[in-house]
Amino acid sequence: MTSWLKRYDLSPANAGFLLLLWCFFIAFMLYPLTYVFSNAFFTDKGFSLIFFKLMLSSPDYTVILANSINVGLVVTLLTTLLSVPLVFLFVRYEFAGKGLLNGLILIPLVLPPFVGAIGMRQLLARFGSINLLLLYLGVTDQPIDWLGAGFAGVVLLETLHLYPVMYLNLAAALANVDPNLEEAGRNLGASGFKLFRTVTFPLMLPGYFAGAIIVFIWAFTELGTPLILGYRELIAVQIFNMVTDLHQNPMGYALVVAVIVLTLLFFYVSKRLIGNKGYEMMGRGHLASAARPASAFLTVVIYAVVMAISAVSLIPHLGVFFTSIASRWFLSVLPGEYTFKFYREVFSHDITLLSIKNSLFFSALSTMIDVVLGVTTAYFLTRKRVPGRDVLDAFAMLPLALPGLVMAFGYVAAFSATPLDARINPVPLLVVAYAVRRLPYMVRAVCAGFQQTSVALEEAAMNLGASPMKTLFQITFPLVFANLVAGAVLCFSFAMLEVSDSLILALKQQDYPITKAIYALLGRIADGPYIASAMGMLGLVLLAVSLFVASRFFGRRMGELFRA
Amino acid sequence: MVSVKFDRVAKILGQSRAVDGLSLEIKPGELFFLLGPSGCGKTTALRLAAGFYVPDEGKIFFNGRDQSGIAPHKRNTGMVFQNYVLWPHMDVWNNVAYGLKMRRVSEEEKKKRIGLALKTVQMEAYAERLPNQLSGGQQQRVALARALVIEPDVILLDEPLSNLDAKLRIEMRAQIKEIHQKIARTMIYVTHDQAEALSMADRIAVMRQGHIVQVGTPRQLYTRPESAFVAEFIGRTNLLPGRIEECADLLTVRTQVGLIGASNGVNGMAKGDLVFCSVRPESVRLLVSEEPPPKLTNQLTGEVQNIMYLGDSEQYSVRLADGTLVRAVEYNPAPRRAEVGDCVVVQVDARDVMVLPREEPGD
Repeated sequence: MTSWLKRYDLSPANAGFLLLLWCFFIAFMLYPLTYVFSNAFFTDKGFSLIFFKLMLSSPDYTVILANSINVGLVVTLLTTLLSVPLVFLFVRYEFAGKGLLNGLILIPLVLPPFVGAIGMRQLLARFGSINLLLLYLGVTDQPIDWLGAGFAGVVLLETLHLYPVMYLNLAAALANVDPNLEEAGRNLGASGFKLFRTVTFPLMLPGYFAGAIIVFIWAFTELGTPLILGYRELIAVQIFNMVTDLHQNPMGYALVVAVIVLTLLFFYVSKRLIGNKGYEMMGRGHLASAARPASAFLTVVIYAVVMAISAVSLIPHLGVFFTSIASRWFLSVLPGEYTFKFYREVFSHDITLLSIKNSLFFSALSTMIDVVLGVTTAYFLTRKRVPGRDVLDAFAMLPLALPGLVMAFGYVAAFSATPLDARINPVPLLVVAYAVRRLPYMVRAVCAGFQQTSVALEEAAMNLGASPMKTLFQITFPLVFANLVAGAVLCFSFAMLEVSDSLILALKQQDYPITKAIYALLGRIADGPYIASAMGMLGLVLLAVSLFVASRFFGRRMGELFRA
Repeated sequence: MVSVKFDRVAKILGQSRAVDGLSLEIKPGELFFLLGPSGCGKTTALRLAAGFYVPDEGKIFFNGRDQSGIAPHKRNTGMVFQNYVLWPHMDVWNNVAYGLKMRRVSEEEKKKRIGLALKTVQMEAYAERLPNQLSGGQQQRVALARALVIEPDVILLDEPLSNLDAKLRIEMRAQIKEIHQKIARTMIYVTHDQAEALSMADRIAVMRQGHIVQVGTPRQLYTRPESAFVAEFIGRTNLLPGRIEECADLLTVRTQVGLIGASNGVNGMAKGDLVFCSVRPESVRLLVSEEPPPKLTNQLTGEVQNIMYLGDSEQYSVRLADGTLVRAVEYNPAPRRAEVGDCVVVQVDARDVMVLPREEPGD
């Protein structure tokens, strides 16, 4: 044992933390997944593919699967089409107010589509504001069915929410393309779209796929938006419905396995397309040549495009805002009267007040877990050569690839009839689920800090007589403090608005977090949607403030967090 | 003052034995250099002394005390890192104060010692600056002060000057040597720059592939190298391959350009051994053909291939009959005595020829 510790240069305290990490990962990642898989493939009579045969032969399920895949693909495509021109305009041109517009582009990221969906319903319903406006203006004499079955609505909301993720990834990728490589292409006679197709885009591909993976998985497994828009023919919604009767109907396991398999398949395909190695860029030439000043005309065009996109992506949330301050809004373009009483009700109504308390408590606890696990994991990944390092890394990053839905489902199933049973007391699992969901962000944030902090800075302290513990607290932590804070703020605010874990794991009203309370309120006829909107607005403000704070600490590297 | 002893120390890093059977005795108060090309294990040896690496074999002693199992922060060494490694979140004063805080030195004493350390490196005026407000040379001085202020038993310097520009580097050499004389503490200094080692060291250990090739004073290493590697690494030299023809007072070596007589050789060489004759360029004399050649030993004829004028010296490359290039340097050069293409005679005194074994020991 001691020789083992010595070989990997670990102190007993190190070894203790390492053991704790492994236990956590095994208990809350490996075990639930194994449980789901074994239930999907094994019946009382042993190994069986019966559920999968059923799934693939029943048109109900194949349609649902196809719908979900389509949502994923269409959203990925639309976000691409939306971001590519934006990225080129922003990376290649300098113009007044660039920073401001850049911020405007990123705003939709902080507007959870789950909340936006509430506003969307109000605006785009059969007798919603937009149809009423069109009828009033005489553009049409029949209300238009904007949302259809719900597919279009889900795709629209997801696209508007996720294009900033694509934008951040593409911008980083393009900024990384050495302008000299393009100049070489131009020198040899390529220009315009040809240059883009043959040189620029191939070099951007790794960054593009990194963004595409996240966008696809996000859209493919989104639960909150379709639930609120009432679009039930999606695999995520089906899984949600099956959680309650798992024991009678094991089909849920098979659906979850299908989601995992499809997710991994997409990961695999995109990694193959990248060819698993990013391109090493040669030394940079004159970087100044990357961005040139935009002409006055082009500046106007850029402003127009960005304003238009931002306006469209803000519409759903404007709907939420108006709903939250409308004393009554029915069959009119805008509410007839305004009031702030619903904001007061948020803080007096028992469901809402309790849910805010719950969310604060759960999120704070899960953030603490993330800080401990994130710092520990990052430490072992960057500072030590521990055995099984790659597996540790894979575990820490797994939640990026595993939809929250899958994890939440696995928790409910795997821990039923244990002391952690979510049906009895969901709090521990909720907290753990929140923590696991956001752990990759924390690990990334802290790893980045450790990597930028030379080990020699720590060695210098030890050389001057500081013990390893003192070094950690006086040198290492202060130097990675900004990253730590940024990571923690992100973890906290995302946990506050976490949808799928909350909807699936919190089963009793007394344990509802904010998101589940919003969902429950929407089902109430009278004032439900108004209070839900008011609460959604508060959530938006919280998330926006948090992301602003986090980006202050991160500076320009914020985008790195949203990459696979 | 503390002596440092490496006793058959080995350290495996990755697949290779970065340090392999290293034995060394550094005397108390010595300014000792570890010199070698990159990858020779010199920095590894220094980090072993600091305790950042644990030896896989062998032991390290400070004043006879075994350091195995003593953590880096308990060794009382002061290390100056290659990239300075000042903590960016602390100002100069706090960087320097850090080691004293760890040692719980009283406030008054601390003030005195930090003041003195900063004065020693001429940085008193910069105590409140942050590291990123300092130039490279200033950061280097602060790093030095940070190591000096704790009055360490051993000061470890890891290529401390390699990131400075050429002129500042030469100034800092003198300053560090002066500081060493003033504080009288054992210093181990790692560098790949042979000029730095020659100009500063009390003694130098030349390292190659994890072990020591030769230890000696700068003068010993330059004038009496024991291997072609040392002869080539320290200073410049001409190596003429040959075989020992006669082993008397004067060694006679048969080379492709004729017989060469030498009065210096590594001990234990015998007739028939394959050897190099090592001749420093500055001991090669250039005789222009028109002058009547005096009766001197070791005269070789050749053609001037290349001339480089460097101001304080002029370098000639002469191609001998068999194609070997011989470099000759003339200091304080008189007006040019030969042109490219001229036929010249090069001559070396027997006492300036070192006969070195052709096979490297340990290869």
